[in-house]
Amino acid sequence: MNGYNFAYLDEQTKRMIRRALLKAVAIPGYQVPFGGREMPMPYGWGTGGVQLTASILGADDILKVIDQGADDTTNAVSIRHFFQRVAGVETTTATTAADVIQTRHRIPETPLRAGQILVFQVPIPEPLRFIEPSEQETRLMHALEEYGVMHVKLYEDIARYGHIATTYAYPVKVDGRYVMDPSPIPKFDNPKLDGNPALMLFGAGREKRLYAIPPHTRVESLDFEDHPFEIQRWEHACALCGSDHSYLDEVITDDQGGRMFVCSDTDYCQSRRGEVA
Amino acid sequence: MGQRHREQREMETRERVAGETGSAAWPGLSDPAHDSQRLFRQILGAMSEPGTLETLAVPVPPSDALGAALWGVVLTLCDLETRVWIAADLDSPALRQALTFHTGARITDDPESADFALLTHESFDPQTSFALGSDTYPDRGTTLMVAVERLANVGPSMLSGPGIETTRALDIGDTAGCRALMDRLAANRASFPQGLDMIFGCGARLAAVPRSTRVTRADAKEVN
Repeated sequence: MNGYNFAYLDEQTKRMIRRALLKAVAIPGYQVPFGGREMPMPYGWGTGGVQLTASILGADDILKVIDQGADDTTNAVSIRHFFQRVAGVETTTATTAADVIQTRHRIPETPLRAGQILVFQVPIPEPLRFIEPSEQETRLMHALEEYGVMHVKLYEDIARYGHIATTYAYPVKVDGRYVMDPSPIPKFDNPKLDGNPALMLFGAGREKRLYAIPPHTRVESLDFEDHPFEIQRWEHACALCGSDHSYLDEVITDDQGGRMFVCSDTDYCQSRRGEVA
Repeated sequence: MGQRHREQREMETRERVAGETGSAAWPGLSDPAHDSQRLFRQILGAMSEPGTLETLAVPVPPSDALGAALWGVVLTLCDLETRVWIAADLDSPALRQALTFHTGARITDDPESADFALLTHESFDPQTSFALGSDTYPDRGTTLMVAVERLANVGPSMLSGPGIETTRALDIGDTAGCRALMDRLAANRASFPQGLDMIFGCGARLAAVPRSTRVTRADAKEVN
């Protein structure tokens, strides 16, 4: 694309983000402030993730973009087209073929491999924000490892509902130190954060924070001995591919109460149907 | 013929720049956007999987002391927003000029204000007060770029922690400086999240050990 640097961002900005990324990797789970730039899309559309992807993407990389697991939703399609235009990179929908995967709110069902980089779009990076509105205070809480209040929040769920009712953006502890918001992925995906061979990077554009989980890092979901962490389960299998172990979306099919459950990860579902057929 | 002509012109340009800046022998990246991206991905790979060895394709600088890999890191990460501290044994007017010419980085005499520090295993002094970051902003620490004696994935230093599935051996050399470097890295655990992140270079080879890594010596273990 004429008039733009490769991958849209200027080299100075990329270097700034790259330096911040190295610190993020060196201190897993710690939110590194960075000079977030205005991107040609509104906040909430993944400007943080886009800036990280732009800073790491190379001409030889194959890019995959998903939104809630799907390759064909508006957010995924527009970001994929953005990078096709400004970087001219090859894109794919196949999880296994991708070098860089930018994701909104899901981790692919297909296990990631070493060398892949997963870039998360993060709306609110601070897991303590809804408990403590002051940035100064939450920063101090992270410094002092003062995370009791997070357990109180989970306990309040148990007191009120009899179980931990947090189902997405479920807080995790990274390498036994920092409590981190894994972005609004369903808690179903939390176990995939632990010991994953791929590098996971998180970018929050509006809040101008980025953080990382290096490969093979211990990531625990917060819980209690008598209320251990559990993931969602369904009584149904996917109506399209028959999978009984993937994250399912409920789709309303008519106004008579008809509904079906299908895999949220479209690539996984399609490749399974290909194998079955 | 075109090729030879181009080479000759490049050489003339290099000589002319040499006359003007004295830094011509210190090569830059021929395709800054793509070269720095490629190098950064290797540095990111090294940092996210501590102890793994990367070989960087970088034009070789005239001074052996620093090495191609670390010069590549400098070209990839430094710019006018960064402060660089240079150890006495690496310091030279040519390096200073090359650094300013290619990156625009500010050179500082105060290690505590440095974003990056260039040194060798011989000039490493554990007493140098590099920035460790604070508990609230641990990212505001100096990243050390250290030229070491050798780089190999053999004992006696064992690395574990984030980025390492089980353990990984890393050997940077036998000198007192190399031992002091590994001891300093082992001490990172006690001050975490404050600490020093190090990028090691040996010729074109590169490895990194961030503060999150646990460093133990295999021979020390046997004593216990």
